[in-house]
Amino acid sequence: MRRTLHYDAVVVGAGVAGLTAAARLAESGARVCVLAKGVGSTHLAPGTVDVLGYEPDGSEPPRRVDSPARALPAFVAERTDHPYALLGVDSIRPALEWFAERIEHGPQQGYRYLGEMERNHLLPTAVGAARPSALVPETMAAGDLRGTGPICVVGLHPLRDLWASLCAANIVRLGVEARAVEVGLDVDRPDENALGLARRFEDPGFRRTFADRLAPQLRDDERVALPAVLGVRDPHGVWSELETWLGRPVFEIPTVPPSVPGMRVSDALRAALRAAGGRLVVGAEVGGAERDGERVTALQAHTAGRDTTYAARWVVLATGGFNSGALALGSDWVVRETVLGLPVRGAPAPGARRFVPEYFGEQPMSRVGVAVDPNQRAEGLENVIVAGAALPGAEPWREGSGEGIAITSGHRAAELVRAEEGLGAAV
Amino acid sequence: MAGLSTDVLVIGGGATGAGVAWDAALRGLHVVLADRADLGEGTSGRFHGLLHSGGRYVVKDPLAAEECIAENRILRRIAADCIEDTGGLFVTTPSDDPAYAERFAEGCRATGVDCEEVEPAEVLREEPRLHPGISRAFRVPDANIDAWKTAWALARGAHERSGARVLPYHAAEAIHRRGDQVVGARLRDVRTGDELEVEARVTVNATGAWAGRIAGLAGIEGVRVLPGRGIMIAMNHRLVNTVVNRCQMPTDGDILVPIRTVCVMGTTDVHTDDPDDQTVAEDEVQAMLEDGERLVPGFRRARALRVWTGVRPLFQDTKEGVASTRDVTRAHTLLDHAERDGVGGFVTITGGKLTTFRLMAEETVDAVCRHLGEERPCTTATEPLPGSEDGEHYMLGERLARREDGLLDDQLVCECELVTRRKLEEAMRRRGTSNLDDFRRVLRLGMGPCQGGFCMYRAAGIMHGLDGMSAEQANAALLGFLVERWKGVWPILYGDQLRQARLDDWIFQGVLDVGHLRE
Repeated sequence: MRRTLHYDAVVVGAGVAGLTAAARLAESGARVCVLAKGVGSTHLAPGTVDVLGYEPDGSEPPRRVDSPARALPAFVAERTDHPYALLGVDSIRPALEWFAERIEHGPQQGYRYLGEMERNHLLPTAVGAARPSALVPETMAAGDLRGTGPICVVGLHPLRDLWASLCAANIVRLGVEARAVEVGLDVDRPDENALGLARRFEDPGFRRTFADRLAPQLRDDERVALPAVLGVRDPHGVWSELETWLGRPVFEIPTVPPSVPGMRVSDALRAALRAAGGRLVVGAEVGGAERDGERVTALQAHTAGRDTTYAARWVVLATGGFNSGALALGSDWVVRETVLGLPVRGAPAPGARRFVPEYFGEQPMSRVGVAVDPNQRAEGLENVIVAGAALPGAEPWREGSGEGIAITSGHRAAELVRAEEGLGAAV
Repeated sequence: MAGLSTDVLVIGGGATGAGVAWDAALRGLHVVLADRADLGEGTSGRFHGLLHSGGRYVVKDPLAAEECIAENRILRRIAADCIEDTGGLFVTTPSDDPAYAERFAEGCRATGVDCEEVEPAEVLREEPRLHPGISRAFRVPDANIDAWKTAWALARGAHERSGARVLPYHAAEAIHRRGDQVVGARLRDVRTGDELEVEARVTVNATGAWAGRIAGLAGIEGVRVLPGRGIMIAMNHRLVNTVVNRCQMPTDGDILVPIRTVCVMGTTDVHTDDPDDQTVAEDEVQAMLEDGERLVPGFRRARALRVWTGVRPLFQDTKEGVASTRDVTRAHTLLDHAERDGVGGFVTITGGKLTTFRLMAEETVDAVCRHLGEERPCTTATEPLPGSEDGEHYMLGERLARREDGLLDDQLVCECELVTRRKLEEAMRRRGTSNLDDFRRVLRLGMGPCQGGFCMYRAAGIMHGLDGMSAEQANAALLGFLVERWKGVWPILYGDQLRQARLDDWIFQGVLDVGHLRE
């Protein structure tokens, strides 16, 4: 027999948007359950909080934004269909503050995010391009390309997802002095990904050996750039110890996935959810809904061994876009929302261009999302609120806006439910 | 300006041109082989990968069928390493005219194409994804052949045997005549702009669909090639492990070829005026997906990786008063311009199909020898290509076996196609090129389901670490690959492959922000 569990709110999706909405709701006293097919896009993203990095204005490449706070009012005025226009620029700041607090009081002791909406950091990527981000982990902040001191990019031999020499050479092209060194690690295999190395760096002996090998290669005034592998559970401890041992600023550069800094975000938000009494079920694929008029009353989820019905007063849909499979484009060129079959918005008309031949151009299919009202409610449904990349109107990787939208919309989704339910203020 | 002097200059580095170079080298001639792009980048590499048994032609064009089966048997010996012996099937699906099967069986008997009728139930046990409504099935010796590997083996062999100079990315700018004699050509390195004069006793125009243009450079009119373009779609799995043909008259969307880690659905045929026409028409894509469903129900739900257009050369001689030198049913055409136009030292070979490249090369070099007034017999029917000496066919598991040998000391760069760092570095040193697409063709780097999402940054990083490679070159290589890849991706992007593409976008445009390397 199918079992039924009852919640105030069921959140679908365990990315930044879903976990933010869920943790925030749980903190308000709501009984919350997160249903997730797998881990969220945190594990793929660099772990920075990008609010607005670029303003796609027709110029190629798009123009960089130095201050999201200053750029956003005009940005949303010109793009009334953009999620930020829907969410309201004023709702971004409190959401980011909430997020930063959850990390700071999270399970990774001492680990925190630095920065503000007034000014983007400008951090080198693994290929050595300059990438603007509003909030960044403390372990990355010293990499700001406007900071002082030449950069020594350290390549770790078994890692294929950060190439120090190319990274350093491109940093030089940005007008910052940089060079690359390689450090051999005692790793018994030719390939090791970022997560594997992060686990090894949590071993004090391992990182001591590493530091001893690196130290003689460094020049006096250099900052040290490392692939983002400085631990998952205790990044602050690993990073600050290396800074102390090496006697200089050390910073991480995000690698090609899997993303260690992204996993830290995921861990911290899950911890916040758990601490507030919320529940998370990973491996639960939502396969249908029960409706009563314009309300969804329950979701059916396939979980290991049995199917379960999750009855809820509210549903927060934070399932992502095409990348997660929440939206799907068929070979008949029709876009479908795959979880609840909701109407979508922003899809190119039949016969119109879906994509443009220019890889770096603006792709018409990119802005598709679930059709919502100004309160993020899915069209035609009173109690389904949409958050994150499922919202229409953004092109997050071209704008550098992914986490800003995810955190703000997740946070606001919780606020909307809270207001409707008359729940108390968050802790 | 730099200069070279040679017996034979071959313009066009497809299978035919490389085959001419190999044939001529085996006959002891000095050869220069030039292509405006990479070897096999034109028509040769833009096909479905089929080594014909001849079965496709037994009813419509029996002579072509006979040529195919003869060449099929030869290539299995001499180019064994470039061929995977998948075998082939002709199946009558519910969409096909059941009467054709008898004509097919009779045609096979008449043309000598090995053919054995098998029970549909047996076929469905072997290939369970095929349409369950198949009423008849015939086994034929179809196989797949890697055109890039073949072209490079031919070129390498020509170099090893007689020091042939192989010049990819060298476009013919001018063909020089001294009176009624073609005496060579001016080539331009399209990467550097450097020019190169080549003095040649005979110049071979092996440019297929582009043959009219090149003949025009020699002042020869009326060589008209009507390019016919066709699209091919690569699916991310081998939905079948045997080449599967629909048992009907040759038509659009009638074949599915498993090759390496993918299978390729082909093809369409649309006349075009421009051999560089790379159009992928929306209705052709849809029609091909429908044809895929007829062979493999559920085809549309599989992942389509990439679509491309190949341009086949269909020759039509428009010179007044000159009859075609070949029977019109013959698939290829050799033009000896001394006979046709009174211009010596110049030969054009066009038309044909990949399966018959060796025969085309043999006939061409025979003509070359006539021009030179020398008697040199052809030996390509018995001489194995470099890498094929042991006569062993390529096996799908080879890369995995090699990978497991190097598991403890070699890094994996491309997980989809199992390309190791050692293999990549060796190819980069050997080729001395900074075009990542060149390595895609020879190593299959970035050809798998992720379409370079994870390996291309690595490849650019590795390339930059090699001697003398600047960041600008590595960036250009990476950006160039992404831009080029997208051309074959976007027209057929849907389903799970769109998910994959979105992940790739996140990596390149999000995590790495490569777009801003353009600044």
